[in-house]
Amino acid sequence: MSKINLLVFVFLFSSLGHILADSDLTDSLRTHRLSEVNVNGQSQKTTLAALPIQIFSEKEIESLNSTNLSDIAKHFAGVTVKDYGGIGGLKTVSLRGLGASQTGVSYDGVIMSDVQTGQMDLGRFSIENISEISLSNGQPNDIFQSARMFASSGVLSFSTKMPVYNGNNTLTGRLTVKTGSFGLIEPTLFICKNFSPKLAISLSADGLKATGKYLYLSNINSQGNNTVEKTRINSDIQSLRTEMNAIYHLDSLEFISFKANQYYSERGLPGPDILYSTYSTDRLLDKDYFAQVHYENKKSTHFQYQLFAKYNSTFMQYTEVSPKYSQLSENKLVESYKQNEYYLSSTLQYHPTNNLFISSSVDGWYNNLFSHDNNLFSKDTAPIRYTGLGNIAVKYLNERLSTCANLLYTATRETTQTGAAAPNRNKLSPTVSLSYQLVESKELRLRAFYKNIFRLPTFSDEYYHDLGYVNLLPETTNQYDIGLVYRELKIPFISELELSLDAYYNQIKDKITVIYGMPYSSIRNIGSVDIKAIDANLRLAVPINRNSFIHFRVNYTYQRAQDLTSGSENYGEQIPYTPFHSGSTSLSYQYKEIECGYNILYSGKRWDGQNIDANLLESYIEHSLFCRIASRQFKLMGEIINLFNSQYQVIKNYPMPGRNYRITLSMEINKHYKNKKKLHE
Amino acid sequence: MKTKRNFTAVLLSTVLAISLSSCDTNSNKATVNPTISTGIYVLNQGKFQKSNASLTYYNLLDSVVTSDIFTTKNNRGLGDTGQDMLKYGSKIYIAVYESSLIEVMNATTGISEKSIPMLNSSGQPSSPRSLASYNGKIFISLYDGHVAQLDTTTLLVEKTVAVGSNPEGIVVSNNKIYVANSGGMAAKADSTISVIDPTTFTVTNKIKVVIDPIVLKADAYGNVYVISFGNYGSIPYTLQCIQTASTPEQVNVIPGLHPYNMTINGDDLYMYSYSYDANWSVINKSYAIYDVRTEKIVNSNFIASTAIAKTPYSIDVNPVTKDIYIGETDYSNTGKMYVFGQNGTLKFTFPTGVNPTKIIFLTK
Repeated sequence: MSKINLLVFVFLFSSLGHILADSDLTDSLRTHRLSEVNVNGQSQKTTLAALPIQIFSEKEIESLNSTNLSDIAKHFAGVTVKDYGGIGGLKTVSLRGLGASQTGVSYDGVIMSDVQTGQMDLGRFSIENISEISLSNGQPNDIFQSARMFASSGVLSFSTKMPVYNGNNTLTGRLTVKTGSFGLIEPTLFICKNFSPKLAISLSADGLKATGKYLYLSNINSQGNNTVEKTRINSDIQSLRTEMNAIYHLDSLEFISFKANQYYSERGLPGPDILYSTYSTDRLLDKDYFAQVHYENKKSTHFQYQLFAKYNSTFMQYTEVSPKYSQLSENKLVESYKQNEYYLSSTLQYHPTNNLFISSSVDGWYNNLFSHDNNLFSKDTAPIRYTGLGNIAVKYLNERLSTCANLLYTATRETTQTGAAAPNRNKLSPTVSLSYQLVESKELRLRAFYKNIFRLPTFSDEYYHDLGYVNLLPETTNQYDIGLVYRELKIPFISELELSLDAYYNQIKDKITVIYGMPYSSIRNIGSVDIKAIDANLRLAVPINRNSFIHFRVNYTYQRAQDLTSGSENYGEQIPYTPFHSGSTSLSYQYKEIECGYNILYSGKRWDGQNIDANLLESYIEHSLFCRIASRQFKLMGEIINLFNSQYQVIKNYPMPGRNYRITLSMEINKHYKNKKKLHE
Repeated sequence: MKTKRNFTAVLLSTVLAISLSSCDTNSNKATVNPTISTGIYVLNQGKFQKSNASLTYYNLLDSVVTSDIFTTKNNRGLGDTGQDMLKYGSKIYIAVYESSLIEVMNATTGISEKSIPMLNSSGQPSSPRSLASYNGKIFISLYDGHVAQLDTTTLLVEKTVAVGSNPEGIVVSNNKIYVANSGGMAAKADSTISVIDPTTFTVTNKIKVVIDPIVLKADAYGNVYVISFGNYGSIPYTLQCIQTASTPEQVNVIPGLHPYNMTINGDDLYMYSYSYDANWSVINKSYAIYDVRTEKIVNSNFIASTAIAKTPYSIDVNPVTKDIYIGETDYSNTGKMYVFGQNGTLKFTFPTGVNPTKIIFLTK
């Protein structure tokens, strides 16, 4: 009964919002209200932000020697990417030491998630039609967003290129082909057409095929001074990612957009490098698709409204062939999972005065999971979860101060087909933030935020056979941050300088942790982690002359992340895979149509468990460079990744590729097409 | 213009300088390379798929511990998941399960004589689990459902025979080889013991036992003791005794005992058991001794429940001193070996690698 009530409430709320947004149309078309994000340039977005945000524009994304979202994420401060190596290798992103399951991933305003594993495989998204990637600690600063955007410890957002009306109904687009090491071939097509000033449709398709083979040095002894050359096998991937976007403007400030996305991938999972063995047969098949609708109305000065509706289907199949499975057909283990999600979100923002914004959002969604394992006789639990979120946010802005507070309410209900279901959960989660301009004439601001949020146990945590435990509590985080941001446009010889420094203290309570045992392990909320860290970011833009430019960026993170689980053998130790020091830097030089650049990724030493030498992972530096030449129609880029052939591992025994190459060629498509109406004029 | 060029040059060189100056330093710690005499080898299983199986050497004369002695002596790691170890003659045989090989090591020098990859006819790993010895041969249970015969002189695998699924413990008693078919990787566990004639190397019969048999130990009276792990529900861990002399072999369940592991020395069968509470903490640890000749429990708590801090993982008895060695683990971090006298007092402890699983005593 309560689930139906939730849906009804969301619908009623949506209609109310729509009515209010349309009711006040006086300044609809001409007035541009000073909203904190409606100013030029991303620099303003990052400097004025009370909650730290880092942004890479489309141009910067092209210059990071990256082919997927997780590689790009490595260049943000405070991020730890667990990279299992190779083109199709799984990569997860953890923000500020909180763990990958606490990271929210937002695609065009909608949070995407995997309720079974709690982690998104970021390789699922093509970056070919991405216009911007940003990382927000805590949550994104704009309060005009769905409630779910307030429900993670941090959000990695990316947005697609939305077709912009260019005055005539032309078909534009781009064809790109990428090739290089690992037998890589990746053709991409993006086309976009305006059918009228109101309607535009775009299509993109990204095909990828790679053998994924590379040579690496395998350590034969723990000191690392006895190595043997091995080939990474079972690392091939073939995938296809397609997407369609349509946008219809009912008015200049009112639109409805539709997106349909499909993902298919079949890849090998090479697994860890096992000493003296080369056997690897694990394979992963993914078939996902989703469709989302977005309605936004900003016509009124005082009310802004938006609605999201989405359906997502995820299918994943894992197979492993081994003589150990002598009882299974073809000695093959097959595990498959099918998830569905139905999501609805409604946000209303009230803007009574120039300084005040109040937003309220209601989100509701439904998840289910079907599992099949050919090596298990037990009945499928088939869990279902209903989640409802309600959020109220208030933001006050003036020339020097911006403060914001929001309170999020979360309620979940679960049922199962077989076995016990997890108990109902209800939680309130507050966040406060502020940004204050310290000196009147200078763009020097002090910022601070506190956020309390949690992540729910995944269906795996609760129901995975033998291991799952339904009475898990949510894993809670508290984040405290204080920082300084400085932006200067008047330094001689430098057109723009931006510097930010944040010191933060994060706590993880009731951390969902596996407890090993015999004959099987289980999972409980026993963990506790304390993180004390600093993030520093510097960006410079230096014009040399009218034709040439230098861009420089460097970020550095120091992180002391301690395991404070009471009674733990590892009490006080640095948690696994978290280096004390890490950073990245990019330098690029542009002259007319040519741009060349250099990128460096650095990670200090870390451990893969107990802090002893046997578990130590050495620090590493990866250097990469690129050169790109662009004309009006063509673009050619060459890249050398891992220039000095550094033999390193991010995850113990998962070797990263040595020096490798990539060449990209793209061609712009401009087809001229006369509008029928104009012909008759 | 000139200033700008200089600035960019400085910027570039600074970036390069920073990047090239910081580099990896392989910490080459000086490792002690001891001579092996009266002492103990502990086989540390390591963590599954972490390639960190190792051998700890503990010298009984000077109490010096050498962790990872295999790497010290051979400049290479032991492999992934060291599952079982036995000494036959002057050599020590180690079943390295996930690397799928048998390591043959000289007991006194610690130097590897041969590394035998265990692969089936299709080149896939057959995954060795446990070892038994008899008449110049080593018998190896392979997780792909076979038992292999290794000759100790030629160090060649001569034959393999198919048994049940996922065989575990293997022992020789009364001139026959007994191997436990656990079916551990299957949806439904197995519940048989395969009996192999060592001269023909064929399976003569199968004995029905309680579901999921894992540990096998033979006593001096022609009995084979079996621990079956049960079904983790209605059927608990069960200790059984197979009388090899009778035809067909008779199986008796020994009531009231639910051990996880055991070892036999003389007439004494030493075992331990435990259970889990609602928070998945280990509780009710108990250490008992059963007399195989009188068929009675002679000591139900030869050491206290709290004597081992974490989870017991191995149990062995020094044949000379009769000291009882119990290995402790928490499955993630390095472990510890506890050594108790026959009267139950703790004599000493020493650190081991992760998951200490088996001991070999070198006595002169």
